[in-house]
Amino acid sequence: MSGLTNPAAIIKGAYSLIVGLGVTIKAFFRPVVTSQYPREVIDISPRFRGHTKLVGDPENPERTLCIVCGMCQKSCPSGAIKKVEGEKKEGEKKKTLTTYILDFTTCSQCGICVEVCPTDALAFSADYNPVGFSREDCRYDLVNEYEQRRAL
Amino acid sequence: MIAQIEQAAAQIAGIVGWETIRIVVGLVGVLVVVLVNALVLTWAERKVSGHIQRRIGPKEVGPFGLLQPIADTIKLLAKELLTPQNVEKPLYLLAPTLIFVPVLVSFIVIPFDSYLQVKDINVGILVILAFSSLSVLSILIAGLGSNNKYSLIGSLRSVAQNIAYEIPLLLSLLAVVLMAGSLSLKDIVEAQKGLWYVVYQPIAFLVFFVASVAETNRTPFDLPEAESELVAGFHTEYSGMRFALFFLAEYTNMFIVSAMITTFFLGGYGGPILPGFVWFFIKTYLLVFVFLWFRWTFPRVRFDQLLNVSWKLLIPLSLLNLLVTGGILKI
Amino acid sequence: MVTKISEELKASLKGVDTQEASYERNGYHLTAEAQPGNMADVAGFFKDRTFYLEDMCCVDYGDYLELVYFFNKYSELCRVKVILKVEAEKPVAPSISHIYRITHWYEREIHEFFGVYFEGHPKLIYLFLHEGIDHYPLRKKRVPVPAEDKALLNSLSPETEEDAFFVNLGPQHPSTHGVLRVIVKMDGEYILSADPVLGYLHRMHEKMAENRSYLQFLPNPARIDYPGALLLNLAHVTTVEKLCGIEVPERAQYVRTITCELNRIASHLLWFGAFPADLGALTPFLYAFDDREQILDILEDITGSRLTYCYFRFGGLYNDVDDVFVDKTKAFVKRMRERFDVYEKLVTGNVIFVNRAKGTGIFKQADTISYGCTGPFVRSTGIPFDMRKAEPYAVYDQIDFQIPTGTVGDNMDRYNVRMTEMEMSLRIIEQAIAKLPSGPYKAEKVPKKLKPPKGDIYNAVESSRGEAGVYVVSDESDTPYRMRWRVPSYSNLMTFPSLAEGTLIADAIATLGSYDIVVPEIDR
Repeated sequence: MSGLTNPAAIIKGAYSLIVGLGVTIKAFFRPVVTSQYPREVIDISPRFRGHTKLVGDPENPERTLCIVCGMCQKSCPSGAIKKVEGEKKEGEKKKTLTTYILDFTTCSQCGICVEVCPTDALAFSADYNPVGFSREDCRYDLVNEYEQRRAL
Repeated sequence: MIAQIEQAAAQIAGIVGWETIRIVVGLVGVLVVVLVNALVLTWAERKVSGHIQRRIGPKEVGPFGLLQPIADTIKLLAKELLTPQNVEKPLYLLAPTLIFVPVLVSFIVIPFDSYLQVKDINVGILVILAFSSLSVLSILIAGLGSNNKYSLIGSLRSVAQNIAYEIPLLLSLLAVVLMAGSLSLKDIVEAQKGLWYVVYQPIAFLVFFVASVAETNRTPFDLPEAESELVAGFHTEYSGMRFALFFLAEYTNMFIVSAMITTFFLGGYGGPILPGFVWFFIKTYLLVFVFLWFRWTFPRVRFDQLLNVSWKLLIPLSLLNLLVTGGILKI
Repeated sequence: MVTKISEELKASLKGVDTQEASYERNGYHLTAEAQPGNMADVAGFFKDRTFYLEDMCCVDYGDYLELVYFFNKYSELCRVKVILKVEAEKPVAPSISHIYRITHWYEREIHEFFGVYFEGHPKLIYLFLHEGIDHYPLRKKRVPVPAEDKALLNSLSPETEEDAFFVNLGPQHPSTHGVLRVIVKMDGEYILSADPVLGYLHRMHEKMAENRSYLQFLPNPARIDYPGALLLNLAHVTTVEKLCGIEVPERAQYVRTITCELNRIASHLLWFGAFPADLGALTPFLYAFDDREQILDILEDITGSRLTYCYFRFGGLYNDVDDVFVDKTKAFVKRMRERFDVYEKLVTGNVIFVNRAKGTGIFKQADTISYGCTGPFVRSTGIPFDMRKAEPYAVYDQIDFQIPTGTVGDNMDRYNVRMTEMEMSLRIIEQAIAKLPSGPYKAEKVPKKLKPPKGDIYNAVESSRGEAGVYVVSDESDTPYRMRWRVPSYSNLMTFPSLAEGTLIADAIATLGSYDIVVPEIDR
């Protein structure tokens, strides 16, 4: 410490320490800024990128807007969309989606699948705390999830 | 029930004497204070650091996290006591227990109240200072016995730091002794009945405070146990309860040193209305709070800067203070 | 400037072919082709004219390998690309590590990925990959490592001296800011030599780029530099836009600028929390993260992510911003200005902090060219070099801001430069928000399968650590032929061994903290 023989520097240094102490003691008496997750439910912004979800057809809620073209599966950079299968039902012009498996462990939430979908059948969900005990729990069957949401 | 205890006590007193009983009871009380203090301080440290950092500290275990120290103790007791292979067994095992001896002896002379002192030795200050130097020995033993070059370097650093800061400790106390005219702690507290010595001796107070922060290895002088530095310090090789003992010793050291500052500068157990020992504990814990406050505000001082502060700043200051005090008192 | 250099080059060195290139199309001004015999002379030529080596990489063209060197100047923009063709069978090239010290590492990297042997390199051992690998990964065809080269693979054999006291700083260590291992040889408290070991976080982003289309590679830059994800996102997106000639609408440019500056502040706040933590003050970390939460909340509202953003698209943005964003950003700017006062009192003025940071880790201005340092590191030595002023992109040329510089180049200067940069970022955000135009947020008619024309381009942005550059070689397909990322922490970290020599270990750790390196960036 070079200023040791210099009393002005010592006083200035000591004053800076006291100023620093003042900052922390002021913070001590102010309210905490943490939120008690998971006990406290957090407001999620509408654009939050959780896992993707299927969007229902507004005219016919029994089916989703998906036409099983496979564009999302082809453009996913991580290969997270494992299975997109559908069948052509009687009297319908386009295919109906039966299986859509998303492996969320490799999804990077880039939004490319949502963007390239020609019918806007995919959207982001607001699920911010998905939990599971094994990798299998993170393989989402989005058609099932859509049916469950519709039942609610 | 009480009558029976009194009868039993009178019988034992017949054999060994009342004084011995008093001392034994006092020692038990001191142990209780030490253990309760350690529990309170582990909780207080985490809560204070939490609120300084705008977050809550422990809150799950018990209301306001009050049972957290109990959970920590159970965890540490349940941990495996690893003894590395090539350590010097006697030194390695001795160090954690040896670190407590000086602290407990220092408690004997601290006056918690005018009647709550285990033994009022008439050279009380000498006792405390002598035994606090002994704690350096246990750090050295811990480092040597660990058979680990990092621990050795850490303990040597710690020894150098402790030795360097004992001198300003002593010199600032001498000014107080000059004013009180006695080495006994009780006399010093009694001499502060009028006005506390902190008013007469502000420089000695500051020097003593800074030196005691360094003696207890607290930030900003906590290089011996620095986490983000390379060398983890003298307690690297200790695990489980042995590690807990080192930390217990650090918290107890903090309490002792705050108690000393209270006794020498802040009037000890003096104070209106409330009983003496309540004032004593209030003042001591306020000082402990300042120790915690320092830890969470300041960065660490580098080792050479640390030694410079002691040798080039604190010692000249305290010497000057002693000269001026002596001059004013005797003229 | 360019023609002058071209003429001088042709005049002084024989066998060097120069050709002017189009800056708008290629990102560099001049191409020069050197021969193995005179590469060292070419490097010396540029060093004498105070050019720094911006990047050095290698491209596998099948029947030959091309070593590409980029030289640039701090004082004015003059990017020269020098190529050196070596044969693919047994590639041998001269080393220029005695001229530009940064090539110590570049050449090791090219050796392990492509198999080029550099003559004259003092220690050609592997940098990122582990010793057991049996082929050269970045080649287009699988080329096995020849047997006689395997002797070079054993990279780390610390000398078994009697008094040598080797200590590992990391890879798990609170102060290495990532998975960095430094082998330190100590003499008591002082460091004799420090040797960083890299590669713990190597994820082959450059190989991934060759197997994914330009659009599919978008999530990757965020993982390369996670605190400054939007800035690297911007680098990737602007490079491809320049290559394809896509025009970005005004509104998108402004939003890009605003979000990038917010990200820069967030990245600097992270560094501001970690640097005093290295020195022992654990509280500023929490305060910095409180402010960082505000930024992350703002960015989450528009991009949907909190750390690894994937928000920019070719031609604009993924989605538009709304008035809530504008209001929140204005409120944040106001709040942040008050917080600087708190930081000033708690850290900057603190005498203990000043005594730890001042006078330690001094890096001289003269050495910056040899290492090619960029960013706050080079600005702290006094050179006012900032890509936002040297090579303006987005709307930086329409906004008024200054570049803070230091004088001595010690840790305190690096600290001050970054704190002032945060204030500059606030000014930029204020001005950009005030001028935010309305309009489309995305260019129309951007093809879904982007097939850039043939050619190569180098484009750089100023990330929070320095100059982050992308070199893309396109072969008209929808995946890049070669994508090379020039990262600032790489060249900055190379200076650490020379700075750490002879210092106390406490100072070395403080210096490492002041660099603000992000190891995923170095390892890619």
